[in-house]
Amino acid sequence: MKMRKKLALGMVFMLVLSAFLLAGCSSTPQDTSAPQEDGEEVRETVEVDIFQFKVEIGRELEQAARAYEADNPGVKINIETVGGGDDYGAALRAKFQSGAEPAIFNVGGPQDVEDWMSKLEDLSDQPWVDLALDGILSGATVDGKVYALPFNIEGYGFIYNKGIFEAAGIDAASIVDYASLEEAVKTLDSKIKAGELKDEYPLLEAVFEYAARETWVTGLHTSNAFLGQEFDSSIDAFNANTVEFNYADAFKKLIDLQADYSSNTNSKRNLNAVDYTAQVEEGIAIERVAITQQGNWVYGGVKGVDPAVADNLDILPMPVIGGQEDVIPVGVPMHWTVNKDVSEEVKEVAKDFLNWLYTSDTGKDYIVNQFYFIPPLSGYENFKPEDSLGAAVQRYAEAGKTTPWVFMGYPTGWGMDVLGINIQRYLDGSMTWEELISDSQAQWERMR
Amino acid sequence: MKHSKLWFGFFVGPILLSFIVVVIAPMMMGIYYSFTDWNGINNNADWVGLKNYVEIFTQDREFLNAFQFTVKFAIVSVITINAMGFGLAILVTRGLKISNFLRSIFFMPNLIGGLILGFVWQFIFTRAFHAVGVRFGIDFLQGWLATTSTGFWGLVILMSWQMAGYMMVIYIAAIENIPQSLLEAAEIDGATNWQVLRHVTIPLVAPAFTVGVFLTLSNSFKLYDQNLSLTGGGPFNSTQMLAMHIYNTAFRFNTFGLAQAKAVVFLMAVACISLTQIYYSKKREVEM
Repeated sequence: MKMRKKLALGMVFMLVLSAFLLAGCSSTPQDTSAPQEDGEEVRETVEVDIFQFKVEIGRELEQAARAYEADNPGVKINIETVGGGDDYGAALRAKFQSGAEPAIFNVGGPQDVEDWMSKLEDLSDQPWVDLALDGILSGATVDGKVYALPFNIEGYGFIYNKGIFEAAGIDAASIVDYASLEEAVKTLDSKIKAGELKDEYPLLEAVFEYAARETWVTGLHTSNAFLGQEFDSSIDAFNANTVEFNYADAFKKLIDLQADYSSNTNSKRNLNAVDYTAQVEEGIAIERVAITQQGNWVYGGVKGVDPAVADNLDILPMPVIGGQEDVIPVGVPMHWTVNKDVSEEVKEVAKDFLNWLYTSDTGKDYIVNQFYFIPPLSGYENFKPEDSLGAAVQRYAEAGKTTPWVFMGYPTGWGMDVLGINIQRYLDGSMTWEELISDSQAQWERMR
Repeated sequence: MKHSKLWFGFFVGPILLSFIVVVIAPMMMGIYYSFTDWNGINNNADWVGLKNYVEIFTQDREFLNAFQFTVKFAIVSVITINAMGFGLAILVTRGLKISNFLRSIFFMPNLIGGLILGFVWQFIFTRAFHAVGVRFGIDFLQGWLATTSTGFWGLVILMSWQMAGYMMVIYIAAIENIPQSLLEAAEIDGATNWQVLRHVTIPLVAPAFTVGVFLTLSNSFKLYDQNLSLTGGGPFNSTQMLAMHIYNTAFRFNTFGLAQAKAVVFLMAVACISLTQIYYSKKREVEM
């Protein structure tokens, strides 16, 4: 009898407990007004949670955080990395919805800044604001207030293999516009087809490799070369209700050039299955192709395959007929932001950490030599990028031969899921260029 | 006797509570959000009435495309998976010496995660097929996954390969449950192998077909990870299935309200189709 009573009591207890636990789960997400309350109890250490997206620097950032902790006792920095463009956005939303809001997180361009505005701390008073390069903060400035610190600057263009160009007798320095680029491509193509380069580069099979499967390569990057001359900045694109495609013909020519001289010349629709790996690790890195449209971020990947090839790469301009031709698009891929809803002391540490990372000598060393970033701030005279592609981007940036990145200001999803998809249709032959332009314009207007 | 109601409450209570909290409540919230313009960040969303539903059926060509593609895929893959599963089950219940070995081999693909399988098959289709095609000059093998039809058949092949082993296990259980006496009687009456299969085996494993078709049908409709890793919806979103389309609507276009409305439509469609299927399959089953 006694046993049974005990059992019943136990059951009641369990039921109540489970009810509490479950109720606890469901109510936490609503409690976002004061999410960091439990931080108050442990006053000794201030914990700063960082939720960042750049997988490539995950480990190095961890080391930088340890270095910062060593200098600042009583601070603990937790880093969580979730990689890749849209996956990060989804993960970040889930993170916020779960109630575990990070103190430092990343946003892209104007659309992200607007979406997350209710969470962003005003960083205008930070020391690094005055050090920023010209126009570099435009993507993160709203009503004169700076809300985010740029990660770095990145640039892309036609990455080419200097060795192959030399072997084919092409002077890369003379390629400054579309005509000279086309000329060089034709020369190279005829030499490849004639087998003249077979001995030195046995795997070489085409001039270009174009990853149309990766809609960010086509819909964001290729298009930006042209729309970057139509809009002055990502903010400008963000505020535009229509898109004109002023350089539509030049745009078509550059896509056709890359498709016609790729390894899939005979059936261009096959380009829709060509992915980043085929383009980089199994393309330019093994010297299967001579030129590919990518950015300085591929350096690490190529180096992993063949360091000698990686150090022999350089960047050609992306010429826009009728506009500036000897330029590459350079911009800020991502920003650091501080969550304004965490407690004051966590915010202070978070700001101080970012400031330390980008302005102290130890921090700068991490930025340039560990993360391989091209710094977005001035004051890095003693820290030069050592990789071939970073140096190339910096060369263009210093010469002023750049156009801005405006694709962050496209309507959400338009670049990859409208334009990128339409480019696939164009390569497939199921859409004409005129249809591509008019459909993309219509969708832009609908999404604004 | 008096206690039984109390005990019933004790045992059912926690489960009921958790079911409400993790299934019913989110579903209700989901239905609520489908009437709003929620963007996934703020907790307050504006009520927009039926606007999302109207948009799905009037403006959103992509949703209807994804729906069509999914239905087409579901029909084809239900047939191929169950046919292959049943065929394999017949094969390994023949009493061959290596049938145990074969069973594990056929079941093995099912133990690998969908994402990994997708990438493995992507490699096979785009690289291995391509290399063979180039080597022997077979155009058919080149450019797989670059067109809608090769993307479609790629998905069907991948799913059949993965799921057939699982269905095989279900059919083996059913086939081994057929009383030996019936088979012997048929044999004594002079039935051929085909007649035995057609008139004894198939009617008696009909309950297993109900289960098999239900599982494959609902799995094919809800497919996401294989779709993501094999084709990623490409080329030009033409191989994008419903689950993926809904995910993209939410997380790429940040229109969570619209995505939620699509999810509600999706849920109703899958529920209708699955329940109809079960109703008709049940009618066909034979009682022993």
